[in-house]
Amino acid sequence: MSMNNKTAEDQAAPPVHPKITLGGVSSFICTMLVAALIVWCFISIDLDFSRTLTGLSKGMTSIGNMIPKSAADFGYDRHLVTSSTIRTSFAETIQMAVVGTVTGAILALPISFLAARTGSTPRWFSGAIKTFLNISRAVPTVVYALVAIYAVGLGKATGAIAIGFVSFIGLAKLYAEALESVSPGPIEAVRAVGGNSFQVFVYGMLPQVFPNYLATTLYTFEYNLKESFIVGIVGAGGLGQELFESIQLFQWKDAGVIIGLLIILINMVDYFSYRVRLKFT
Amino acid sequence: MTDRNEVISLRGLTHSYGAAPVLTGIDLTVYAGEFVGLIGLSGSGKSTLLRCVNGLLTPTGGTCVVLGQPVNRMPDRERRLLRRRIGMIFQEFNLLDRLTVLKNVLIGRLGYSSPFATSLHIFSQADRRLAISCLEDVGLGGVEMRRVRDLSGGQKQRVAIARAMAQGADLVLADEATANLDVLTKYDIMDLLQELVATKKITVLASMHDVPLARQYCTRIIGLKGGRITFDASPESLDDAAVAEVMGRSVREARLIEKRS
Repeated sequence: MSMNNKTAEDQAAPPVHPKITLGGVSSFICTMLVAALIVWCFISIDLDFSRTLTGLSKGMTSIGNMIPKSAADFGYDRHLVTSSTIRTSFAETIQMAVVGTVTGAILALPISFLAARTGSTPRWFSGAIKTFLNISRAVPTVVYALVAIYAVGLGKATGAIAIGFVSFIGLAKLYAEALESVSPGPIEAVRAVGGNSFQVFVYGMLPQVFPNYLATTLYTFEYNLKESFIVGIVGAGGLGQELFESIQLFQWKDAGVIIGLLIILINMVDYFSYRVRLKFT
Repeated sequence: MTDRNEVISLRGLTHSYGAAPVLTGIDLTVYAGEFVGLIGLSGSGKSTLLRCVNGLLTPTGGTCVVLGQPVNRMPDRERRLLRRRIGMIFQEFNLLDRLTVLKNVLIGRLGYSSPFATSLHIFSQADRRLAISCLEDVGLGGVEMRRVRDLSGGQKQRVAIARAMAQGADLVLADEATANLDVLTKYDIMDLLQELVATKKITVLASMHDVPLARQYCTRIIGLKGGRITFDASPESLDDAAVAEVMGRSVREARLIEKRS
């Protein structure tokens, strides 16, 4: 036995000189190219340092203007928060995000099942759906919002449609990826007891992907609250539209109140989604 | 010997994945009430054989008659109906870890229940009572509302056995069901399977690679090597040479393994 081991070791002795391989050379070239690209981007950004300093102080002043300092400022802010304009816009923002997320999630569920390469749909079919999802995902939300404005006019319905479509695309892709990573064991077990393909989906797959679905959906909701600001800028209603208008009119206090509301809202949603996710993992 | 019911009848069964043959002409008859151990190394075709029996795989050739029905020549719907009577337990348990113990056992009732109600996780009172009594039978009374992921390996395999019992299975296929368990738990699970055979008249076909364990519990041992049956004997008549042949070891080594355990 020991003799055999020795000869095996001799045969497998490592080469003395490290070889320069084709793979090694090409990965070195790739690294250098990426580094060059990064350096080029920094150089061509054309940042003027002398102007940056004064610009920075100007920027700080505008942010400073947003923060209330006197009792009068606080009174103004309180008055603003309770005003019907802000209350309506606040509600609109939440409505857009809720309707968009829920619609997106409901549409994404069946599509993700078709898009996932799990062997239950033909490969060319899931491939075609994935291609559609990838193409649609590359288009920014604002573009969908502008299209929706032509279709249904200005207002929160437009925002909900744009947000809903983008959520649908994003969630379908993420749901499909979750479905592709489920373990095949429980699926086989449900088939083995005589379950049909729908029962295989409900009992073999859904319980495995549920925590992932819940987390991605809640994250999408949070993200959609911010997205509603972006689509608000092109006239889709909500707090985003109010914010854009107040900045254009240099009403810094109003802008400050709206941004403050967004910060509170996002963090509240984040906290509740954390609690919900804890309960369902 | 006159009224021995055939539970499984395989004739010239072959299966291959692509070009690689896994089963090459299996002839095997299993009778009601037998506890058959299917021994062999990994890659010998044990799992493939079990999956041909319950129709999870369609063999590429030969016939496969199970509980009187031609599994490999049936429409999908009828095959699903037949599967309700064939329980299966696995090395990796294959339970839904996030669901409760009760829900996992109720999965055994899916084939009997309305697909619409079960998709909303609604099961009949009778099914729930049956599931709870199956859990009591495997010694897991009182844990039905716990999540499966909080159980030990041995408990998980008991849940899987309860699932097969809830199906009302006449035949149980066990795919390396004790390979992931510790030495003592192995015996608990084999005891349970033996009890199923004795009290519920269930037939068990169990793939395993633990020869002493097979010898201790099974009423009949079949050796599989390279997709072919190398022996088919009672545990008493199983000789060292036969074990060595199927497990790919020398006779001396096989004897040592036997002695150690």
